Amino acid sequence: MLKKYSLILLVFLLILSFSSIVAVADSPFVGFSQVTIQSPFYVTLMESAERTAKEMGVKFVYLDAGNNIGKQNNDVIDLITRGLDVLLLNPVDPEGVAPAMKRAEDNNVPVVTVDRPVEGKYKEAVFVGRKNYEMGVEAGKKAVELLGGEGNASGKIIEIQGAAGGAVMRDRRDGFHSIVDKEEGIEIIQGPYCEYVRSQAISAFQDLIQTHPDVDMVYAHNDDMALGAVQVLEQHGKINDVYVIGIDGLMEAVKAINDGRMDATVLNDPAYLGQLAVEVALGVLEGEEYPEFVDAGTGLIIKDNAGEFYDPAKDFAEYIPED
Amino acid sequence: MENTKFKHLIKEHSIYFLLIVFIIIGMFTSEHFLTVNNFINLLQRSSVIGLISLGMTFVIIGGGIDLSVGSIVAFSGIVVATLMTNGMNLVVSLIFTIFLTLVLGLIVGIITVKFNLPSFIVSLAMMVSARGLALLISNGSPVFGLAGPFAFIGGGYIGKIPFSVILWFIMSIISAIALKYTAFGRKLYALGGNEEAAFYSGIKTSYYKAISFGISGLLSGIAGIVLASWLTVAQPSAGEGMELDAIASVVLGGTSLSGGSGTIGGTIIGVLILSIITNIFNLFGISSYYQYIFKGLIIAGALILNSMVVVREKQ
Repeated sequence: MLKKYSLILLVFLLILSFSSIVAVADSPFVGFSQVTIQSPFYVTLMESAERTAKEMGVKFVYLDAGNNIGKQNNDVIDLITRGLDVLLLNPVDPEGVAPAMKRAEDNNVPVVTVDRPVEGKYKEAVFVGRKNYEMGVEAGKKAVELLGGEGNASGKIIEIQGAAGGAVMRDRRDGFHSIVDKEEGIEIIQGPYCEYVRSQAISAFQDLIQTHPDVDMVYAHNDDMALGAVQVLEQHGKINDVYVIGIDGLMEAVKAINDGRMDATVLNDPAYLGQLAVEVALGVLEGEEYPEFVDAGTGLIIKDNAGEFYDPAKDFAEYIPED
Repeated sequence: MENTKFKHLIKEHSIYFLLIVFIIIGMFTSEHFLTVNNFINLLQRSSVIGLISLGMTFVIIGGGIDLSVGSIVAFSGIVVATLMTNGMNLVVSLIFTIFLTLVLGLIVGIITVKFNLPSFIVSLAMMVSARGLALLISNGSPVFGLAGPFAFIGGGYIGKIPFSVILWFIMSIISAIALKYTAFGRKLYALGGNEEAAFYSGIKTSYYKAISFGISGLLSGIAGIVLASWLTVAQPSAGEGMELDAIASVVLGGTSLSGGSGTIGGTIIGVLILSIITNIFNLFGISSYYQYIFKGLIIAGALILNSMVVVREKQ
């Protein structure tokens, strides 16, 4: 008997779950396979894409790959099975999405990659993203300026790294090094990989500051980790002696810059990225021509302009291109 | 005797019945669900976790648990990819890789029985170490350039059937035979049911228990090869969380977490049910946050159902 009841309960739960979904009329169907929705950057990106799609009156579905490349391929294949018109894809891995890309190609579904490109010989329509290398360069230039200017800069920088093996980490690292390594007076201590997570950055930096009490600057591959360093520096009473530079333009970091607790961050507004991605996807559907790479652009936030960017209602500083 | 057999039948059928319920739900939710293509997709995506779950079935029947399977998937993919991109012959690379994963599994098993430790902890240690090995060998980066005949293992088709599904099917049959018709299988059930009693009746319990972990390592190794081949890239982060999916599939399939009972057929159905849940959600367009919640509820519901049958059986 109990077995029967629990089955009925299960079926009931399912029906309940399905009834909450409203059918959408025939309009272009945009599907977004997002790498993860467990980080504010990707949540903002996804929500902005969804909002833009709704404003433009198209059917929009997003699926969360949960950082799992296998699930992402399956999600995309399911979306294509449902009759997707255009695919927005933020790949977990640029190579590992091969089965999904092949399926899209076989079904003539155009693909617009967002935030991260794919690699391989596909007729990938467009990549909408930002040059992480460029962001690293921006951070590097500011670092050199803060430490004494080109040719004279000197000091010890601790670099807190993002995810091991990731392209974003590599580009933000290499861009930064391309500027800073030219300065003979600068010494860089490469910290451990902290997966862009504040808690990991805090414990790593607590150890690092013991071995390098003479540190002059912290460069973190994102703001979440940079804010972790700020926290540790405050505990050690060193916040005024050490510069902190992050990336992303997280609103909390903008506030910290405005308050003088942090020194710079590089703009990486996910909301604009999401909006642009949907616009490009629909453009592709209508046959518009785009370059292979649509650059969403970037910029620097420092003490002087932090006030203009500060908006507590947002998660990230807003970046709107000038043209 | 007749009575337990009968109850066993009910128990087995409850999971098959659940599968049918999900298929019917799938039919009503999307016109795309009951198509040949979707069915093939379902089998294909189930094959990696399916292979791992076969090994997990052996371990759980023997009274253990193996948390290292996901990391061994990553390790195996990285090893085979590194060997091949460095010019080693395909077949030799495959054999060598599978042998290594068998050894990793055996290490877990041997430490577990030798030092009389809970396999939960020993396999947790292997989970961390094997991930570390995968990161070390690959230097943290994905290994790509895996095209050619290797890509056939996970991405190729024989007729309309993906080769990985055929591989899963063959391994399932071998596993089912090993469990049901060999002395090894019978002894594994005996030791999982009551290790002490099995020991005193003259079964080399530690030997069989260690072997069950070896099988799990080996099948996870094969799964890792299939995954790397399907994706044409090996990632040191591959397989994360797969241990939980595999355990959920095995237990959904009617294998008792306390050991001593369970079937390969049940495990296969368990794997399929988990895949179908996500497939239905995706086809129907349920947003991801809800997917996690409902998937959790469904697993919990199925487990409650399962445990109630087991409890009745024991009474």
